[in-house]
Amino acid sequence: MSHLVVALAGNPNCGKTTLFNALTGARHHVGNWPGVTVEKRSGAFEAEEGLRLEAVDLPGTYSLSAKSEDERIAGHFVSQGKVDLILNVLDASNLERNLFLTTQLLELGKPMVFVLNMVDDAERKGITFDRAGLETLLGGPVIATVGNREEGIAELKAAIASVAKGRDPRVRDWSREASGHGPGDYGHDIEGELVKLQTELARDEKLAASVPNRWLALQLLENSKEAHALVAASSARQAIEAQLHKSLAFLEKHLGADGQTLVAEQRYGFAHGLVKEMVKTDTPSGETPTQRLDGLLTHRYLGIPIFVAILTMVYVLSFVLGKYPQDWIGDAFKTMGDALGAKLPPGELTSLLVDGVIPGVSAVIVFLPVIMILMGCISFLEDTGYMARAAFIMDRVMHLMGLHGKSFIPLIMGSGCNVPAIQATRTIESKTDRLITILVTPLVSCSARLQVYIVIAGTFFTPIKAGLAIVAMHFLGLGLAMLMGRLLRSTLFSAETAPFVMELPPYRLPVAKTTAIHMWEKGSIFLKRAGTTIFAGATLVWFMSRYPGIANREWSAELLRNQQTVQALQIPQAEKDEQLAELHLAHESRIVNTSLAARFGRVLEPTLRPILDPDHTRPEAWKDVIALTAGFVAKEIVVSTMGVIHGASDEPKEGEKLSPLQVALRDHAGLTPLTALAFMVFILIYTPCIGTVIMIQRETGSWAWAFFTIVYGSVLGWLLSWGTVVVGRMMGMR
Amino acid sequence: MTQDQGVPLSSLQPGQEGEVLGLHAQGPIRQRLLEMGFIRGAHLKVEKLAPLGDPMELIIKGYHLSLRREESSCILVALTA
Repeated sequence: MSHLVVALAGNPNCGKTTLFNALTGARHHVGNWPGVTVEKRSGAFEAEEGLRLEAVDLPGTYSLSAKSEDERIAGHFVSQGKVDLILNVLDASNLERNLFLTTQLLELGKPMVFVLNMVDDAERKGITFDRAGLETLLGGPVIATVGNREEGIAELKAAIASVAKGRDPRVRDWSREASGHGPGDYGHDIEGELVKLQTELARDEKLAASVPNRWLALQLLENSKEAHALVAASSARQAIEAQLHKSLAFLEKHLGADGQTLVAEQRYGFAHGLVKEMVKTDTPSGETPTQRLDGLLTHRYLGIPIFVAILTMVYVLSFVLGKYPQDWIGDAFKTMGDALGAKLPPGELTSLLVDGVIPGVSAVIVFLPVIMILMGCISFLEDTGYMARAAFIMDRVMHLMGLHGKSFIPLIMGSGCNVPAIQATRTIESKTDRLITILVTPLVSCSARLQVYIVIAGTFFTPIKAGLAIVAMHFLGLGLAMLMGRLLRSTLFSAETAPFVMELPPYRLPVAKTTAIHMWEKGSIFLKRAGTTIFAGATLVWFMSRYPGIANREWSAELLRNQQTVQALQIPQAEKDEQLAELHLAHESRIVNTSLAARFGRVLEPTLRPILDPDHTRPEAWKDVIALTAGFVAKEIVVSTMGVIHGASDEPKEGEKLSPLQVALRDHAGLTPLTALAFMVFILIYTPCIGTVIMIQRETGSWAWAFFTIVYGSVLGWLLSWGTVVVGRMMGMR
Repeated sequence: MTQDQGVPLSSLQPGQEGEVLGLHAQGPIRQRLLEMGFIRGAHLKVEKLAPLGDPMELIIKGYHLSLRREESSCILVALTA
């Protein structure tokens, strides 16, 4: 049985999603709209006993005129989709602007229910409504609700039920009424031209059947791209375009403005008249609470320090506090792996489980706490209205980099972990701004890369120089992100300009339930969509770095014999354990150094020679390539992989400053301070980890962009680390 | 520039008020501004500038909006206060 479909339409910040949650409870599905990465929420609810409806939450938009992706989706869905009823959510304290969208929705000729949401806010501001009057003028039930307290939901459901059954006396179909009445009246001159256009449009029966005629005629007057595209594909194209040309010329001459302006003026005229007649505003004079709060939060001098403080808090919550559950998860999996490794007989299956599957699952799940906390914070900031202020404060700087004010927070969060940072770009409305931010975020050095710097810089530099080098890496990352942002803006995306017209909504206290649902959604989407691919990637790298050595029976037998020999020795247990660990490491090292990954490393090594081995004195430079390959799975495992490759533990022994791995790197690997620095630069920029790549694919909806990031990162990384070597040598470094 | 021809919105100082005379923009920017309420005769008030001097915050149609200099310079207004 197919349900009737109710579409929730409304401006951004009108409380639509909270209302959607109140209607459907938590029983809803989150996916993407076909072909794009705009979230689509849908869920079933019972309007009355036995009447189930499907609610679809449209993206929040100010209009349906298809300039942005959100508007195109919303416009397309309500005008052509199988929508049976439109639920128009209006912010009760900002009615005039909200009604602009309503005038467009009314033209679709579908049954509508109107919601005056957050009516408590409006009442506090001294705004009162003549609901019966509004119902007459809008032609549908008007229900007052307070979405976050679930007030008015029962009445709303009853109204939806009666309209859905076609039995509500309040419903009027404006498209059937004689023109010159109701909200869709554009005045004598425009109406005359609309009739002429509609006559031409009606010549194409296919077109007439697919979209409401009047709606299309208006969209043409408004110069909508999508409407032009529809006409371009029509059989009556020439006649329609000729009439449109005539109509626009006529209107320009008689009303002194273009179609766009005239239609917008008429729409606002209706909205203004309606508000004037049916809404009484008795606002107490003086500043609103929002203005008072903004006096502080966007203050000329205090605004920035407060923003930095809030940002620091979010960072600490996500990456410092989030580190605890992350460590617990990591430790739990490691303990599990170690226990299984000790219990099960050594062999391929055990290795698959212990070195492949368990770390793979762990690599996915460790992201969860950080993602959920950071997304919770972002959702909180967004719902309070502070996110728009943060963008307001930072836009000047970000605009210089070719980005949007809202790009700032994701970029900074990228220094904790790129994966949730890329998820956080969803707050950026403009598609181009979002895409550029996503593409430059991987250049921001994350905490996993920090571990690699610490090991390498600690080996080759004095503590002070090491500290400087590590800080320099972070600035280099941010600087490159800025540069690439500008570059991408002026090259690939130069044609697409998104105007910066951003509402600063009133401050509101977010609903805990909405934030919780949001966190849960983000976490589960990550697990479902990204989790499987990351897991597959981790398993693939396990396979590459273990085969064929792991299947070598002789080596396994040798390890067992040696282990037994050590066990039989008459020495203290601690010493025994140490020797056993060394044996194990040597065995692992042998497997990895003869593996497919090692062969891959040898093949790739010549391309990296100018960076890692400029003097051709390092026969083992290919080992670095294996570590870099491992870094594709997760930057966290670069260090441990280097440990395995060089057969040296990365844990320092008691009382020693350098770990055995660091000693091995210094004494045997052949790296010099200069090539070590180049290696750090390369680690910073070359391909993002697989989690980030998958997230880029998810958030851009395209594998092409995901691969693009890998390629441009690798090329840029190569060039800059090569530059490091060249410049370093000129300065006499070795 | 005379009062009749108006001044670009970007030249207004915080606290100043005006009425929209017209838009000097084309394409999506024009459409967006119209939808957000910048129609002829609409009243607006500049609230403040961002700490770094751009964008500006203004009140139009009873709500708060921020615009970059790029956008606000294509809106012609007549000063009213």
